[in-house]
Amino acid sequence: MPMTDNSAGKTGAATEGVRARDRLALLTADNAAVPLPAGVQAITAILLAVLLIALPWLGLGYRFLSIAITTLYTAIGLYGLGLQFGQAGIMSVGHAALMGVGAYASAILSVQLGLGFWTSLPFAMALSAIVGGVIGLPTLRVGGQHYIIITFCFCALFVIVLTNGGTFTGSATGLDVGSVTPLPGINFDKLSNNYYLVLAALFLALAATYLIGNSRYGRTLRAIRENEQLARSVGINVDLHKLGVLMVSGLFAGLAGVLQLYYLRHISPTLFGAFPSLYLALMVMLGGARYLYGPLIGAVVVNFLPEVLNLDPVDSRIAYGVCLLLVILLLPGGVGAGIKNVYCAVRGGFEKQGGGTNGRA
Amino acid sequence: MDIFVQQLVNSLSVASVTILIGIGITLIFGLAGIVNFAHGEFLMVGGMATWFMVGAGMNFFVALVLAGLLVGALGFAAERCLFRFTLNRPMNGFIMSIGLSVILQHAVIRVFNEFQKSITDPVGLVWTIGGVDIIAMRAIVVAVTAVIVAITYFGISRSRYGMALRASVSDRDTAELMGIPVRRYVTGVFIYGSLLAGIGGALMISLFPITPFTGSVIIIRGFAVSLIGGLGNVGGAVVGGLVLGLVDGLSAGYGYPEWTDAYSLVVMILILVLRPQGLLGGTLGPKAS
Repeated sequence: MPMTDNSAGKTGAATEGVRARDRLALLTADNAAVPLPAGVQAITAILLAVLLIALPWLGLGYRFLSIAITTLYTAIGLYGLGLQFGQAGIMSVGHAALMGVGAYASAILSVQLGLGFWTSLPFAMALSAIVGGVIGLPTLRVGGQHYIIITFCFCALFVIVLTNGGTFTGSATGLDVGSVTPLPGINFDKLSNNYYLVLAALFLALAATYLIGNSRYGRTLRAIRENEQLARSVGINVDLHKLGVLMVSGLFAGLAGVLQLYYLRHISPTLFGAFPSLYLALMVMLGGARYLYGPLIGAVVVNFLPEVLNLDPVDSRIAYGVCLLLVILLLPGGVGAGIKNVYCAVRGGFEKQGGGTNGRA
Repeated sequence: MDIFVQQLVNSLSVASVTILIGIGITLIFGLAGIVNFAHGEFLMVGGMATWFMVGAGMNFFVALVLAGLLVGALGFAAERCLFRFTLNRPMNGFIMSIGLSVILQHAVIRVFNEFQKSITDPVGLVWTIGGVDIIAMRAIVVAVTAVIVAITYFGISRSRYGMALRASVSDRDTAELMGIPVRRYVTGVFIYGSLLAGIGGALMISLFPITPFTGSVIIIRGFAVSLIGGLGNVGGAVVGGLVLGLVDGLSAGYGYPEWTDAYSLVVMILILVLRPQGLLGGTLGPKAS
């Protein structure tokens, strides 16, 4: 049985724990590299789009639609995280803070200068992108784990700064904003219209992810992820590409943050602290960062699961933790990888997996 | 001046707990190659266990030993069931440890509740030396920490086990060829670090009340301490712990207490960016995958 484990290239790695999981690793191998047929892709995309557009008319109630909006704007942020982790292999556990930068930028512009949703959006997104790039600077110097710790520190520091920011940031109570400036004929106070606004942004994020993933730029990022030294030696500007993807990720986070702000109409520092950040990391790992629909699946599972199972907050957090452990131990490529493996197994494409790249970052 | 000395003595006892957690992290991160974000939760569980046992009428010092053993056992279970599967992908281990920390935190809330717990001072003596009041329990905390630091320091730098351990960090394959059971050393270091966290938790609850969320605050400080000193460097962790503990304690007494938590974060980011190997030098930690 061939070892599917080709990451890190450590020769002394074959220990009893890993050997026992060889069989499992083969079953859960990541075959993101094997593209699905174009027809299947198109049908999935159309079905998903129809389902999402039809959602408000299914009569599922106010609460369901609220959770759906939360899920969608979270998913937009996750697509940024998915790009930087899935394509470039740079994980962050402070991503909620990056969303918070966008949300607070927009809220402060609204409170101080009276800018509305549409006018503050570009500034908020740009600021998130810049902050994302600045936090990313250390990752050019230090390894992946140190970068993770830096993102965590940034997240904790961000909350402390917001809490001590006085009236400018609204301290612990936070800031309030009005509703989204209405477009001609569309009033965003209506929940379903707000849903469509967020959905439109999600489609943008999906399209951008798809285009980046299939572009020369996306391939370069994956090359850097697989072997940074090799990428450097063939003349790829690794630093520039890494900073680039972190800034794109920041753009997504800013967009998600502003949508979150105008959906909730009130933000406070705890929304962007350690816990929300960890949930974002969980969702992207759970769904599978390398798959187009992975982040969306992760967001849906994590947001709807407590609702479906009717868990109280404490139990649902324990459930999150257990999910995270199980996913990393058993399904390192996420649910997206699992679904695709089932599909490949059904289609008899199982033998293609042997030489595939491994799903673990 | 008296107040300053008072603050200094108090800060020293705070620094002691920080040093204990920092040593645990520096050993587990720097030598065993595992980034365990649940380490702060281990400390919290140790504190909660002590609270429970003291509440049930047990002597504090017996409870301290038992809490250490309990958390050591917890560390053993975590290493065997979780972290040994991710030794080659430390990043996955790190994310898993976040999951573990969420589970432990909320399991404690589920078993007890989310309110803060405290025990009465187990010694209850105050010594007055030259006009400075020294609470005996604080002195004991400092003494226990000093003993543990000495044992750990000489264990790592002088004993043959410490030498074998350092050999397996610098070249794992060769160490294995020389007959060093590297896996067992990794487990051993993990258990020892967890044990220190348990003792740290017990000492901490003898000083201040703790809540189920204490762990996530203290872990940041622990990482800051171990990164300042250099990973795997016990002496560095002591220096880092003293610096951070004193800054924390003195800023709480004099400066801006609301920014206390920010100092360790800023220091840690600066160290990671400017001098990833730490001020006093150490391993760079496990290779990033």
